[in-house]
Amino acid sequence: MTEKSGSDAMQQTGEANERFPSPFKLPTPEGAEGWEELYPYYYLFSAERQEMEDGKFWFFDGMHNPEPLYPFDTIMTENWWVAASQMASRVWPIPVAMGIDHRLVNGYIYISPNGVTDPEKIAERNEHFTRRAGHYFENWDEIYVNWEEKARDCIARLKEIEFHPLPELDPEENVFSHRGVYSSHDLLSTYNRLIENMLEMGSYHFEMLNLGYGAYLTFREFCQQAFPGVTDRTLTQMVCGVDNMLMRPDDELRKLAELAVELKLADIVTGHDDPDAMLAAMAKAEGGSKWLDAFEAAKEPWFHFSTGVGYTHSDPVWIDDLRLPLMAMRGYVEALGRGEDISRPLESLLEKRRQVTEEYRGLLPTDQDREAFDGLLALNWKVFPFVEDHNFFVEHWHHTTFWSKVRELADVFVAHNFIDDREDLFYLHRHEVYDALYDLIIGWATGSQSRGEIYWRPIVKRRRQIRDVLAKWVPPPALGTPPSIITEPLTIMLWGITAETVEEWLGVDPDAAGDALRGVPAAGGKASGRARIVTNYEDLFEVEDGEILVCRITAPSWAPVFSRIAAAVSDVGGMMAHTAIISREYGLPAVVGVGFATATIKTGDVIEVDGNEGMVRVVERAAA
Amino acid sequence: MTADPFILWLDQDGAPGNALLGGKFANLAEMMAAGFAVPAGFGVTTAAYRHFMSRTGLETEAARVRQAAKSTDLSKIKELTADLVKGIQSAALPGDLEEAVRSNYAALEEKTGRDGVPVAVRSSGESEDLAGASFAGQYDTYLWISGTEAVLRDMRGCWASMFGEAVLSYRHEGADAATVADAAICVGIQQMVEARAAGVMFTLDPLNGDRSKIVMEGCWGLGEGVVKGDVTPDRFTIDKVTFEIIKKDAAAQPEEYRFDPATGAVALLPVEPERRDAVCITDAEALELARLAKHIEERRGGAQDIEWAVDEKGAISVLQVRPETVWSQRQNKGQMSKAKSPIDHVLQRLSGVRVATTPSWEDKP
Repeated sequence: MTEKSGSDAMQQTGEANERFPSPFKLPTPEGAEGWEELYPYYYLFSAERQEMEDGKFWFFDGMHNPEPLYPFDTIMTENWWVAASQMASRVWPIPVAMGIDHRLVNGYIYISPNGVTDPEKIAERNEHFTRRAGHYFENWDEIYVNWEEKARDCIARLKEIEFHPLPELDPEENVFSHRGVYSSHDLLSTYNRLIENMLEMGSYHFEMLNLGYGAYLTFREFCQQAFPGVTDRTLTQMVCGVDNMLMRPDDELRKLAELAVELKLADIVTGHDDPDAMLAAMAKAEGGSKWLDAFEAAKEPWFHFSTGVGYTHSDPVWIDDLRLPLMAMRGYVEALGRGEDISRPLESLLEKRRQVTEEYRGLLPTDQDREAFDGLLALNWKVFPFVEDHNFFVEHWHHTTFWSKVRELADVFVAHNFIDDREDLFYLHRHEVYDALYDLIIGWATGSQSRGEIYWRPIVKRRRQIRDVLAKWVPPPALGTPPSIITEPLTIMLWGITAETVEEWLGVDPDAAGDALRGVPAAGGKASGRARIVTNYEDLFEVEDGEILVCRITAPSWAPVFSRIAAAVSDVGGMMAHTAIISREYGLPAVVGVGFATATIKTGDVIEVDGNEGMVRVVERAAA
Repeated sequence: MTADPFILWLDQDGAPGNALLGGKFANLAEMMAAGFAVPAGFGVTTAAYRHFMSRTGLETEAARVRQAAKSTDLSKIKELTADLVKGIQSAALPGDLEEAVRSNYAALEEKTGRDGVPVAVRSSGESEDLAGASFAGQYDTYLWISGTEAVLRDMRGCWASMFGEAVLSYRHEGADAATVADAAICVGIQQMVEARAAGVMFTLDPLNGDRSKIVMEGCWGLGEGVVKGDVTPDRFTIDKVTFEIIKKDAAAQPEEYRFDPATGAVALLPVEPERRDAVCITDAEALELARLAKHIEERRGGAQDIEWAVDEKGAISVLQVRPETVWSQRQNKGQMSKAKSPIDHVLQRLSGVRVATTPSWEDKP
């Protein structure tokens, strides 16, 4: 995929002038021809905008969407395409930054930040920015309290949304209350409310986030100057809370495990792999109802926990698939049986944070530097509860509920004979869903067969085939013309992309990667063992003790698996990568951002993970 | 008043910090007293040296040579010192001094349970470790020396090395050897560590003065490879606060310094292929060394330059400790020139202006 012209150009000028493949020259994988029809016109590279698009730098956002997008799921990326962008461009006009543009190539998302270069414009924007963003920082705590209220209200309204197949006759109450609007209108407007509710939460998502990351970025750069080479794991250790909402679901499992032991019900938890069988046995056991009450209480809201990043409908959610939480709980019950303490050592984590912070502070040379350090750290402690907790409210609680509502809607389409399976709806873009819904109510209103009953099945079938082919394609890390320097703060903050990252990507030839893969050293230590490739949720249940987890990306809800593995490797990961944070907590070596680990390593290969150097080596290939 | 002793053991009362041991050995005695693993040994003190020079009448010649060296061309210095060096190597040792060295070497043999215990015979100047006047490496060191006669011979060699060309031709900022060089040196006789790997570590990053790092270089075999610079060492950068290994650069090492039984001397010998590309110490050893370095720094109250060795069993020894001399001469003025609220810092950063700058350094007054 590397272009020949790149190296020629470099020889001509005698300096680094390589570029990434042009988005216009990437081949479509065989069998995926016509993939463009899965997505709206504005998401595609096009000849009309080629000059602009070819001159830009695009990088693969595998951190949020490691897989090709389902047409319906673009609502998530389309949301932040606007919601994150407008915060920087129009709401708090970050002087040097406009928004972040998107395109899809072979179903994978590539993004490109826009900058502002005109000094006059920058000065003008700076004035507005300072006033507006300053207001948020000054009133942060109060604004966060309000934010949480808005978020809870938005989730409550989402939960109230219901979809039902249209009735044979419209209900009598619509007639006798003289409403004048009927089930057809309700169905359409409920769909609109669902979409708007999603976009509303999507907007809250970014209300405070960029400022929070900005505080971290500033602190990080300050420390990197004072202590060159200081690692992100040290910095996040100083900044992150030891107790936040993302840890609550796992904490609830620990509590339930303790309760089961206390009620002498441990055998029931450990004795069943199947969640339904376990819960049935619990219901029959003496004292089981007390445990079940606690279990039900914990589920709301803590089991609204995605096993992915939350941006795709296909990631199972605890509340829908109890195997993962119950597997974790079994682990805790067994640990208690061995007399282990399963509580998280909050006190010692806090003490460790205090000690690391104090020692670093003591190494600063001047009072002014110490003052800046103290101030920036205090500001980070102020903003981090939002930075950490928003993730539970938005990606987990809200978005998992959203996907379950979309499935309710899909059931309406199944009931009206448009599709065979509720999952098929995700092969339609949300705007196509609106059309299909209108088609559906035409059929209902007129009594004719809706065209959709014939129209959509072959399309869904074709799109599924195309997406399956695309899922096997390995997207290059970047496209287009690399920038000489990256100053745009959001790119650095959210994706950890710097000039060095780009340079490294330019040097990587995926075909030549061979047996040694380089990534970001995320959690220290070394381990060897058999690799277990986990590319979907079902694979998680195959993981055996002592194996090394190799995945595209991990999610917070995978935590239970970390107690069984020897090390973790992920294709994707930025400076705040979850894999890194959780590996550190479990004391496991981890290398993230490896790029091609899942493509290069096979389950059963013996690999060595060096979390200090950021290297993954294949020691022995599994027999084919 | 009792005369100054000719011999001081590293673990003897009154040894730590005693000027009679010279800088290097006085520091080592201090380390030993603080409980660090320092190989057993004793110093033939500066008093012993002075005694020798005065009894043999060589001190007058030494003073003359030092004065004359100031105005002597480098190419002529060897000629100038020839008689003096010959005198130091051959003049009869005063009986009491010779007896003291013999009996204490015998005591070391007994202590270590080894006849002819191999030792390092090292020079330890009175001022060599003083900041700003570092004669480090200018004096001679003899490794893997076995038996009393050889020890006596190399002790004289250390003494004579005070009048080597490099020392006498020393010129720095208006000072010269006659004014700043040692008037006397101690000769350390110390059990040889049979090093599997050895090297040097700094309790700061010598590249930028960053005090949050420990930077360690190590090579296979004896540390001479690192000290002399003729072996490219493995290099570790370790976070001094969290003890994470931040960076590890392995270097291929085709040769190492080790004892060659065939010649009875230390030599640069080939490393067998399977060790060549391997890192000479494990991560665990690197971290243990780093913790040791941090303790030594805390104990001595400033950045240190430490020589270390690890034997076949993984036991770590401290071979030399001295203050770091480059960054310690300078003052870090930090990166923040004027006070600002943290919010202003962040707003400024998001406006595209980097708040953080490389810390500025200036020479200490």
